[in-house]
Amino acid sequence: MDEILTLGIESSCDETSAAVLQGGREVLSNVISTQIPVHQKFGGVVPEIASRKHIVNIMPVIDEALRKANVTKKDIDQVAVTYGPGLVGALLVGVSAAKSLAFALGVPLIGVNHLEGHIFANFLADRELEPPFLALVVSGGHTALVDVADYDTFRLLGQTRDDAAGEAFDKIARVMGLPYPGGPEIDRLAKEGDPFAIDFPRALDKAGSSEFSFSGLKSAVLAYLNSEKMKGHEIHRANVAASFQRSVVEVLVHKAFDAAQQAGRKTLVLAGGVASNSNLEARLTEEAKARGIHFQYPGRILCTDNAAMIACRGYYQAKAGHLSDAYLNAVPGLNFGV
Amino acid sequence: MSILAIETATQVSSVAVLTGTKLASELTMQAKLTHSETLMAHVEQAMKMAAVKREEVEAVAVSIGPGSFTGLRIGLAAAKAMAYAWEVPLLGVPTLEVLAQHFWSTDACILPLIDAQKGNAYAQPFSARAGRLQPEGPIAVQSFGEILDWAGKEQRPVVLLGDVLRKIEGKFELPANVHLAPAHLRMPRAANVAVLGAARLAASESDNVMDLEPLYIRRSEAEVLWEKRHGEGKS
Repeated sequence: MDEILTLGIESSCDETSAAVLQGGREVLSNVISTQIPVHQKFGGVVPEIASRKHIVNIMPVIDEALRKANVTKKDIDQVAVTYGPGLVGALLVGVSAAKSLAFALGVPLIGVNHLEGHIFANFLADRELEPPFLALVVSGGHTALVDVADYDTFRLLGQTRDDAAGEAFDKIARVMGLPYPGGPEIDRLAKEGDPFAIDFPRALDKAGSSEFSFSGLKSAVLAYLNSEKMKGHEIHRANVAASFQRSVVEVLVHKAFDAAQQAGRKTLVLAGGVASNSNLEARLTEEAKARGIHFQYPGRILCTDNAAMIACRGYYQAKAGHLSDAYLNAVPGLNFGV
Repeated sequence: MSILAIETATQVSSVAVLTGTKLASELTMQAKLTHSETLMAHVEQAMKMAAVKREEVEAVAVSIGPGSFTGLRIGLAAAKAMAYAWEVPLLGVPTLEVLAQHFWSTDACILPLIDAQKGNAYAQPFSARAGRLQPEGPIAVQSFGEILDWAGKEQRPVVLLGDVLRKIEGKFELPANVHLAPAHLRMPRAANVAVLGAARLAASESDNVMDLEPLYIRRSEAEVLWEKRHGEGKS
C-alpha cells in the first residue's frame, strides 16, 4: 500500500480548497470553501474580491484539511497546487502559500494544471479506472476533448473556438434574470420545459471535427429572447432553458463519442464544473449504453473546483518526476499541454 | 534565534534575516521580476547567506500594506504558510511605517508615500525622535497635488519618500520646505520590517495566521461601483 501523503491546494477561481490524499486514490479530506454567495450580487466572479477571500480562507482551509485527515503538517510528503488556468490574483494566493509551505516543511512542490486536475477527479471517483480513455472537459472557461493515453500523456483533440459551454450557460442565465451561477439554474429550469419547443442552431456540429463553438448558439438564444420581447410575447423561460440546453448537450454528446471512436477508446469520462449538469450526464449515460462504451463522471463534489483532484494529478505527476521549483509562477492562460 | 522578514508591497522585493540585533542578511531588489517568481528563492538565499536554519526562525514578519494588492497577498500568503508550518508568531507591520523607519531621529516631518494609482498616493506623516517613530495622523489617499499643498503649509522641513517619487520628481514644483529622499531611502526594505517586527515581538504582540488580511485601505472597484449604483446604506 502506497502511503505517500499529498496536500493539494486549489484557488483558481471562487473556491478555496485544500485536500489530503493518501497514495494516488484515497481522499482523506477535501475541504472546499465556496465564495458563491459573496459574488452573487455582482452577477459573476469579481477577481479582486475573490483574491481577498482567498487570502483570508487559505490557512483555515489547509488547517481543516489536515485535521479532517487526522494527519499533522510533518506527515505531509509533498504539496501540489493549481498554477493555472484561472484568475491570476486568485491563483497567486494558492501558489504562494503552497511554495512557502513546501519550503518550510522541506518537501517537494508540484505545480498542477487545473484542467488536468478535473480529468483526474475521475480516478478518485472510480479507483479501478486506468488510462487510456477519452475525456470530455466542460467547465466555465473550457470545453475540450482530450485523449488520455496514460497518466502523463494527454493529446488535445479539439476545443472551443470561442465561448466555453459554461460561459454560454452563464450568459443566457443572466439575460433571463436567473441568479449566478447560471448553469445549475438553467439545468433546474430545463426540467420543467420542452427541449423541442424552440429550434436553436448547433454550431460546428459536423462529423469528424472535435472543435466546438458556442457563440453562434448564444447569439441565437439572445436574438430569440429579444425578438419575443419586441413582439410583446411572454417568454416561456423553461422552454428556452430546455431547448438551449438540448442544443449544447447534443453537440457535446455527439462529438465526445465520435472522438472516442476515432481514437479507438472504449472509455469516456466527463470532467469539469458543467459535468454536474444532470441532462448532460443522463444523455452521455444513455448514449454510452447504446454504443457499448464505458462512461463515468466524477459526481457532484469532485466536479466542482476542489483540491483532491489537484492532489491526485500532483501525485501522478510526482511519480513521473515532474516537480516544480521555487520559481513556480501562476499561469492564468494555461491550456492542455499539447 | 532569528526573525525572517518579507517586503513585497511595492515593486521592491526584499527579504531579511535579523538574528538578535544583528542584521544577518538582506536581499533587496527592484527589477522587473514578479514577486511570485522570486520571493521563495530569495527567502531560501537570505536564510542560506545568514546560515540560519528553518528551526532557528522564531517569528515571520511581513509588510502588510498599503501597496499593490497582489504583491501584498503574495508576501502575506508566504509569511502565513511559514509561520503556520514552523508554529512561530506572525508579525504584520504597516508598509508606510516600514518606509518611515529609514529615519531614526529628525526634526523634519517624514512623509512616506506609496503609489495608489491614477496620480494618487497612500500617505501618512510621521515624527521620529531618538528612535521613537510616531504617526501624526491616519493613512490617507491623496492626489500628488494635495500632498504637496499639505506639505508646503508645514512650518518644518518635510521629507517625502517612497518609490512613487519618480512620478512627482520634475513634474511638480516643490515647496521650499519639501525634500525628496534619495534612491536608497525610497525603497521599503525588509531590514526595517524585521526591526519593526522585533519590537512587536518584544511587546508580546503577534497576528493570527488564520485571519490576518492585508491593509488594503481601498475597497475593490467592483464594490465601490456596486454601492454607487445601489445607493449606500439602502438595503
